[in-house]
Amino acid sequence: MKSIFSTTIAIAALSGTTALAHYGMIIPSDPMISQEDGRSVQLSVSFSHPFELDGMVLEQPVSFNVTHDGETTDLLGALNSSNIMGQPGFTLEYPLERPGTYVFSMEPKPYWEPAEDSFIVHHTKTYVSASDDDDGWDTELGLRTEIVPLSKPFGLWAGNVFQGVVMLEGEPVPNAEVEVEYYNEDGNASVPSDLMITQTVKADANGVFTYATPTDGWWGFAALNTAPETMQHEGVEKAVELGAVIWVHFERWKD
Amino acid sequence: MPRLLAILAVVALATTAQAHQLNVFAFVEDETVVVETRFSNGNHPVSGTVRILNEKQETVLTLSLETDGTVRFPLDRDAAASGLTIEVKTGEGHDDYWILTPEDIARGSGD
Repeated sequence: MKSIFSTTIAIAALSGTTALAHYGMIIPSDPMISQEDGRSVQLSVSFSHPFELDGMVLEQPVSFNVTHDGETTDLLGALNSSNIMGQPGFTLEYPLERPGTYVFSMEPKPYWEPAEDSFIVHHTKTYVSASDDDDGWDTELGLRTEIVPLSKPFGLWAGNVFQGVVMLEGEPVPNAEVEVEYYNEDGNASVPSDLMITQTVKADANGVFTYATPTDGWWGFAALNTAPETMQHEGVEKAVELGAVIWVHFERWKD
Repeated sequence: MPRLLAILAVVALATTAQAHQLNVFAFVEDETVVVETRFSNGNHPVSGTVRILNEKQETVLTLSLETDGTVRFPLDRDAAASGLTIEVKTGEGHDDYWILTPEDIARGSGD
């Protein structure tokens, strides 16, 4: 009873505060599509608190693209409306016609977060390799803000470190804060403290951060910065949080 | 000492070469099968043997890679009715294959 009571209190408290981290999400059916797996990938696109599986509304994004071999293709019109974690989101099946790395990226509409008194714009991306070819795994898209991977962002074992560079307006961000959260897809993971739902690491002077995952699955890394501009909400200028989000899958080691 | 350095250099080069996995990809374009190969470091092999096998895993054609790591051959629709397996060997420990499925062939042929 005590644990149920504690959990209830904790959920209530979390719901009423800003402790939950927001994440734009692009989750592929598989981060490494071999030729035996088929010739396409399914994507699930959403906005959520991924550890609590607490979905939020994802409106039609400003942009949704795929980049492969230096060429970027607009996929906005190919998104299919869907329901993800109980809220509107999108799905997409995309054909992988050639080998190499496909980078899917999204710029969402600014999300007004009253509890934080600011707008949130999370530029979100993920990397998928096709036909056992990893060419292009370190692609920098040139987004307004993004995490450029220093570790290949697929084919990682659980327990491996993931390293990336936080970029904003084309420049590394010294000492950037990066929030890390596990996509608790089956709802089985639990934490001994709410402080561990979202962990935080800081980048070094060159914008490089490092994180070692404790388990397999999808992990989201979100580097958060404040935009120099403001946006109006009900006639009042408000801050805009720019997030650079990357989703990376870590594989389970099998003896 | 120079001899030792030479041996170490050879060993290092051999080790590096082994670490580069070969990747094979094939597609159909204008009734022609195009085979592309590449090592994981992005370089193309300059030579290699290409075997084309039918669904019974019988060799129907043997070719040599061009120096740009590709090879092309006319699509034989009878032999490819159930798909083709394309095996490429470029050296000791460097081999890979691509399975061209009937769906791949149909897509490339605009059927």
